[in-house]
Amino acid sequence: MSAPAVVFDEVSKFYGEVLGVNRVTLHIPPGITSLVGPNGSGKTTLMNLMTGLIHPDRGSITMRGLSPRDPEHLMGITGYATQYDAAPRWATGFSFITTGLLLYGHSRAEAETKAWKALELLSLTDAAHRKVAAYSKGMRQRVRLAQAIAHEPELLVLDEPLNGLDPLVRAETIALFRSWAALGRHVILSSHVLQEVDVISDQVILIANGMIVAEGEIRNVREEIHEHPSQFIIRCRDASHIAALLFNEDHITEIKLNEDRMGMLVMTKDREQFSRALGRIAGEGHRIDSVIPADENVDALYEYLIGGSN
Amino acid sequence: MKKRFWTRQAWTIAKIELRRAFFSKRAFWVYGLALFPALIFFGHGIEVKLRRDRLAARGLTSQALLDSTTKGESAADVRRRLGAPARESQYESRRRVRAKGEATGITTHIIEPAEARFVRLNITRPSYSGEPTARIYEFEVYGTDSASNLALNRMATGSSPCSSDQGPEKAFNGSIAGGRSDSWCTHEYDRFLQVDLGAAHKLRRFVVKHASAGGEREEADTREFNIQVSNDGKMFATLASSAGARFMDERTTNLFLTYFDGRREAQLQFADGKLVSRRITPVLNFEEDRQVFAGVFQFFYLRLAIFFGCLGIFMNLFRGEMLDKTLHFWLLVPARREVLLAGKYCAGLIAAAVIFAGGALLCFGLMIWPHDPIEVQAYWQSAGLAHAFWYTMAAVLGCVGYGSVFLAAGLFLRNPIIPAAVLLGWEGINGFLPEILQKLSVLYYLQSLCPVPAPTDKGAPALIQMLLAPAAPASRFWAIVGLLIVTGLVLCLASFAIRRMQITYGSDT
Repeated sequence: MSAPAVVFDEVSKFYGEVLGVNRVTLHIPPGITSLVGPNGSGKTTLMNLMTGLIHPDRGSITMRGLSPRDPEHLMGITGYATQYDAAPRWATGFSFITTGLLLYGHSRAEAETKAWKALELLSLTDAAHRKVAAYSKGMRQRVRLAQAIAHEPELLVLDEPLNGLDPLVRAETIALFRSWAALGRHVILSSHVLQEVDVISDQVILIANGMIVAEGEIRNVREEIHEHPSQFIIRCRDASHIAALLFNEDHITEIKLNEDRMGMLVMTKDREQFSRALGRIAGEGHRIDSVIPADENVDALYEYLIGGSN
Repeated sequence: MKKRFWTRQAWTIAKIELRRAFFSKRAFWVYGLALFPALIFFGHGIEVKLRRDRLAARGLTSQALLDSTTKGESAADVRRRLGAPARESQYESRRRVRAKGEATGITTHIIEPAEARFVRLNITRPSYSGEPTARIYEFEVYGTDSASNLALNRMATGSSPCSSDQGPEKAFNGSIAGGRSDSWCTHEYDRFLQVDLGAAHKLRRFVVKHASAGGEREEADTREFNIQVSNDGKMFATLASSAGARFMDERTTNLFLTYFDGRREAQLQFADGKLVSRRITPVLNFEEDRQVFAGVFQFFYLRLAIFFGCLGIFMNLFRGEMLDKTLHFWLLVPARREVLLAGKYCAGLIAAAVIFAGGALLCFGLMIWPHDPIEVQAYWQSAGLAHAFWYTMAAVLGCVGYGSVFLAAGLFLRNPIIPAAVLLGWEGINGFLPEILQKLSVLYYLQSLCPVPAPTDKGAPALIQMLLAPAAPASRFWAIVGLLIVTGLVLCLASFAIRRMQITYGSDT
């Protein structure tokens, strides 16, 4: 039986005449998936579509086999921390989370226990009984996150979840996402901070102007882009000689020697041939200290695919 | 099992929302609407109690003594029998009247015998009222033998008449009974009437019959005039004149005595020491107050207070959350959208029912409060409890009906003014609609639940009566059933809307 997935099938959403997303087809397996794109690209639209806050004009969506038009069942397994900064005026942090849990069918005692646990995880226990309206922006971000995770959902949808978190909380939160994903759950988050996407994500979805530009593991996405050469950084002693040998290969398009002459940046059209060539050179007795792909990160992908950068 | 779970969820939502429903800053004016009539009745009660205390301060008069006063009785006798009044006031009035003995509308002028052929009546001030119209019904001229009117049917001339049938000849036709067309009338500045006797006669007496002699009001009588004679119709001599009737000032001393028997206030008016009028009214009229309450309840409380109060409470439940950008929290809970709708409706209904049923009961209580306890007890034992119950029911069912409409409106529309204006207009024209459409109105059902019919002015135009008192179904049972059916239909529409609802308060996309 295949792992439950989040599936978008030819989904389009328009806001009047303005395009939200267009003919989006996605298959998101369990794990940590990042939605990456510039402002206005459609990230929040996708998240709102997933959780039923808006409905598609065309196409269909299933979330681990459930429809977003069935909130009774879907929201029982889903937690969504939105970008909307408002909170009920009457709510303290504690009551904000407890109230939601009561609606999940928990008893008052269970709801309070779970709420407290979520607040502890996000380091909000000191402020738990203050009104959410009086929180700082970062605290409001954390309490939304706490509310999303309090009922331990199988599907976590998070809109820019790491914004405003201090490094310790950020690390703990990332660890939580990883442990969640390891249990076979979905963690779908959006971010502008490409480095953290690189670090935490299993897969990435690049979106621009309401359309999916690329999706999958970062490495696999990168491998799809054949027309752009791969980059590798080689550290070695005899850089000039090795560079001359590599230059004879047809698949090499560019070599830049480091200033210290102890390494070089190589661009190749064919990774397979490149690795065979390296093997040959190493076999001839030339010492190669390390070979590192220089563009298997989102920055590079972004630049290639979308043309923007952070 | 599922239904129990849904019910529990809806109740949880309702409990959370009760706070917003009761204390939303956007809807605090709802309390003002609910309590405003109570304030009016409270003020009325205070005013009555103070008035009763003031009247009773000088002691009470027995009911029998109050009823025993008769017209013509002197003030001194009344004081002696009834004692010191609760209140007393006096003033003098003045009236201008004609001197006694003057025949109304007819003046007679006797002169030294003088020979003349032409007689002329010149009017310098046409009327007592100030109206610039002169009117003479008959002008008679008698000779020394006083036997016959020498001017009768003689050739007459005068100022231009008011109309063709009011010419100078009418003053010499020997008649005054034919109304205005049997008189001479002129608006001209130079007002005169002249008769040619045909030949010179020795003249002794003139009789002038003015407006009131012909049946008109005394104010139209000629105020100032003179009579001239001539032999040639050219040279005239004045032989008589009149400045009109004499007026005198009639002064009257008016005394008002007020007596109080504990329930009724008697106002006795004396003119020159004699009782001329007696007015006995209860300080408080329970029946009248119940009628007033019925009118206030139906015309203000149902049509305006509950209507706009439910608008404020129910439209805020979804629309307010949309404006606060907090609605998405509700759409992200694991509950059917219909359960969310039910929970919010319950919250709004509980709040509205408490506020408006409470307000109605408070107002009802304040209406009863200043009345005589015995009278109140009798009322309570007969119809009072039932009246209180049905007023409360009408208020609650008004919240049920209007609440569902405005909850649904809040889901379909952003601007509350539009549904409010449309519904207000619809309720207003209900009486003119076909019967099937009349049933699509909340007020149509509420009116027949009210225990006391609202008073309407029978003299008001039929259109106004129809607007104020539209048609009502026959029985209370069918009114309740009908209202619940309409409410159910509206909530079905609302559940359709909420299933299609999307968050559109605009954020990063």
